[in-house]
Amino acid sequence: MTLSLSRRTLLQTGAALLAPWPGLRSMALAADGGADQALIVVFLRGGCDGLSLLAPANDPDYVADRAPELRVRADGPRPGRPLRQTVAPEVDFRLHPEMAMLGELYDQRHLAFLHAAGLENGTRSHFVAQDLMDRGLSDGTQLQRTPQGWLTRLLVERPSGAPAIATTPALPASLGFHAASLAIPDLRGGLSLPGGPRVGPALAALYAGSGDPFARAASETLREMDLVDQRLPRGPDGKVIDYYQPDHGAAYEETESGRAFRTVARLLKMEIGLTVAAIDIGGWDHHDALAGRFASVGGQFGRSLAAFWNDIERYHDRVTLVVMSEFGRRLRTNKSNGADHGHGGVMMVLGGRVNGGEIYGRWPGLSSAQLDNGVDLAVTTDYRRVLAEVLNVRYGAGAALPRIFPGLPAGAPLGIVRA
Amino acid sequence: MNLPLERLLLNRLAFGASPDDLGEMARLGPDGWIEAQLSPDEGDDAAMAERLAAFRLHIKYPAGDGYAALEEQRPLVCLGSDVADLWPLTDGKHPMAGQERMRPRQEVAAATLLRAIHARWQLREVLVDFWHNHFNVNAAGDHAVAAALPAYDRVIRTHALGNFREFLEAVATSPAMLIYLNNRSSRAGNANENYGRELFELHSLGRDAYLNDLYNRWRDVPGAAKGHPAGYIDQDVYEAARAFTGWTIEDGAGLGGGQSLPATGRFTYVEGWHDNYQKRVLATDFDPFQPPLADGRKVLDLVAFHPATARFICTKLCRRLVADTPSDSLVKGAVAVWTAHQRRPDQIRQVVEAIARSPEMRQGAGAKVKRPLELAASYARVSGADVTVTEGLLNELDGSGQRLFGWGPPTGHPDTMDYWLSSHVLRKRWTLVLGLSENWWGTGALVPTRRLGSGLDAGQAARLWHEDVTGVPADAAAVAAILSGVQLADGAPLPAGPAADPLHRRMMALAAMTPAFNLR
Repeated sequence: MTLSLSRRTLLQTGAALLAPWPGLRSMALAADGGADQALIVVFLRGGCDGLSLLAPANDPDYVADRAPELRVRADGPRPGRPLRQTVAPEVDFRLHPEMAMLGELYDQRHLAFLHAAGLENGTRSHFVAQDLMDRGLSDGTQLQRTPQGWLTRLLVERPSGAPAIATTPALPASLGFHAASLAIPDLRGGLSLPGGPRVGPALAALYAGSGDPFARAASETLREMDLVDQRLPRGPDGKVIDYYQPDHGAAYEETESGRAFRTVARLLKMEIGLTVAAIDIGGWDHHDALAGRFASVGGQFGRSLAAFWNDIERYHDRVTLVVMSEFGRRLRTNKSNGADHGHGGVMMVLGGRVNGGEIYGRWPGLSSAQLDNGVDLAVTTDYRRVLAEVLNVRYGAGAALPRIFPGLPAGAPLGIVRA
Repeated sequence: MNLPLERLLLNRLAFGASPDDLGEMARLGPDGWIEAQLSPDEGDDAAMAERLAAFRLHIKYPAGDGYAALEEQRPLVCLGSDVADLWPLTDGKHPMAGQERMRPRQEVAAATLLRAIHARWQLREVLVDFWHNHFNVNAAGDHAVAAALPAYDRVIRTHALGNFREFLEAVATSPAMLIYLNNRSSRAGNANENYGRELFELHSLGRDAYLNDLYNRWRDVPGAAKGHPAGYIDQDVYEAARAFTGWTIEDGAGLGGGQSLPATGRFTYVEGWHDNYQKRVLATDFDPFQPPLADGRKVLDLVAFHPATARFICTKLCRRLVADTPSDSLVKGAVAVWTAHQRRPDQIRQVVEAIARSPEMRQGAGAKVKRPLELAASYARVSGADVTVTEGLLNELDGSGQRLFGWGPPTGHPDTMDYWLSSHVLRKRWTLVLGLSENWWGTGALVPTRRLGSGLDAGQAARLWHEDVTGVPADAAAVAAILSGVQLADGAPLPAGPAADPLHRRMMALAAMTPAFNLR
């Protein structure tokens, strides 16, 4: 079955590549062009309201369907941050005021947006939509026969010498059934085993040669954790030094976003050869109190992302970061001052080799006839076209794309990233 | 895995084997034990009630703006409280430490873990855990859900072996659910769809019955013409959301004209917020202007008695109690019992009994990974020690991937093994058993030599603990691995008396880190 196959493949690859630790990166580099690239995938769980993140502030339907306090405005005490763009020159697209700092990354051309992007499948279910996107699909009938995540399939096609990282307690489904991965919600305190130095070898002996899934996962975990743990700075007492000084005065908040981005920044700088990291940020399901809740979680996310980008400046050319969510939210707000599940949303691509400073895709408009089913922003760009372009241009994975994204629609390149 | 039947049943229908329950099994036989567990006392057994009454959970916070510093060992005062008693905790204007506002969640979590370890009515505890996940609410970080959590826990306990239709309405009218899925602010006009959607997708019919490619073509849903649609579409979600408008809580909200609701947190129905007009849900027409609550109750009838619901929930029950991928025949048997008893007060009990007495219940050990709650509770149980619950243990469990009453999405914790084998969760599993073994969080010292006496050598002890903890004899490799953890050779003498306890505790913990103990 898929699990054992992928596990065995990856274990063999991993064993060959990992043997002498210092040689790790060069071996990974030698494997193929683009192998030193780090792909960071950020999933905003819950359905991020793209119409608050990147608002068509002057669109008459937006103005008509959302009360002034529930939309981003061009005027007033807290106006949105305008962006120069050519996707729809007549529309005054503005970043949410709490995310205004991302405008600088945009102006520096590191950050690009896509509007009206997402899953073409019309599901309004969080869990179906997330399952499809985590597995790189659009057609629900393919779920049964596609258990692995799209990042797992990428790593099968382009094995990495280093473990894939998730900042969640368990792997997101995008890394589902990937053996060589570490879930690190917080790197502080290190990854050493509880109970002192004798526990590791005893556990390794306990699981060696056992074929059940628990023993296999445990053996793999011991190996991968040790690789990262060895690289953590230690004091004279052998204990991990928790102090982490971000570069360029970047500061991470104690929020889900702050912890996740700090963890990935540290791992990048530890030079473990990181090629894939998955970050999940929850809290976007704003069925009520949209204005306050979006400002809170959006602000945390924006500040963390900006801090991260500042902190990892010397890695900019190696990093491509993609942000997505399972769907956008309804144009018209509900009586709870929230917005229910919608369709099209916003994606972001950030990186040193991103053709930033532009909004990509096609803006479909918000009039009744233009909306999907008459209620929601339409999807004009399949999320997989964005991911595929990043994998193709930055990772040289073009030939593998049909296997990574079954049923990927053909389309002209979007031009978001460059080699 | 060749587990003795008694152990297998206790892993599945209880939180693991304890010396007491192994004794009960021996006395009553497996069938007798199941029979007894299916008819629990209404509330806690007497020993459990006594333990909960005597229990103290630490609380500590520094002085803040408008309140003094505090540190004390406090009884579970929130646990038995009505939502109205706890509602003042949600008043943001009243100065109070965050720990006080979150205290109800801590207390319910502590009681849950204590009951998992010590309750006589283990099967009910297993089902309470199941239903809390099925009807998930997130009390971590939401003071209002936290204040409503003790009452919600009582709803879950009351109906865990009862009738699903009644259960569904008790949940729909529970303040915790009304707050968590936002129905409390849903009103005619643009209704809030959050509860309506998850009612279909997670609480009843399940996502396999979501026929979203038929978005607005309800007549095309198979069976719709005869009034028995095979599944639901987005329009059903929209219409159901309208049906539940006005189902709310007394949270002080304004009613217009200078009137407002009282602030008790209790369920109420506000006629003025209800959408009175005709609706169509699951191909069934609703007339306009129905009596109070009738529209919502009709939706609950439609989903509770829908065949997709029987299939969805019976599959989940079989997955929880037996295997990640339960056999078709097991699920079919459960569905038949579910449907035959769907208007009986003990419907769920009948279904659980059918699963518990099925041949599949006695086969296939090792088909699931214990979740961290099961792991911690089963280790505490098998140790035979008087393990209690502390803040430290609760914090550790919170970080284990299974945050009780603190899981964000309405799905509840995952119930298949891939999720529970991440590197982080594995590391936390090792920490949980080692910490319990060595009393890192003040949960109580294990005194193994009191059980063993002396005179054993290291290899004998390793074999004994492996069989004692896991229920199966150790192979040579496992013995060697356990001995390497204490750096002793097979046959090496152990120190006399209590001096051997640290070595025993380490060997017990290693035995609990085996696949044999972590799989069930």
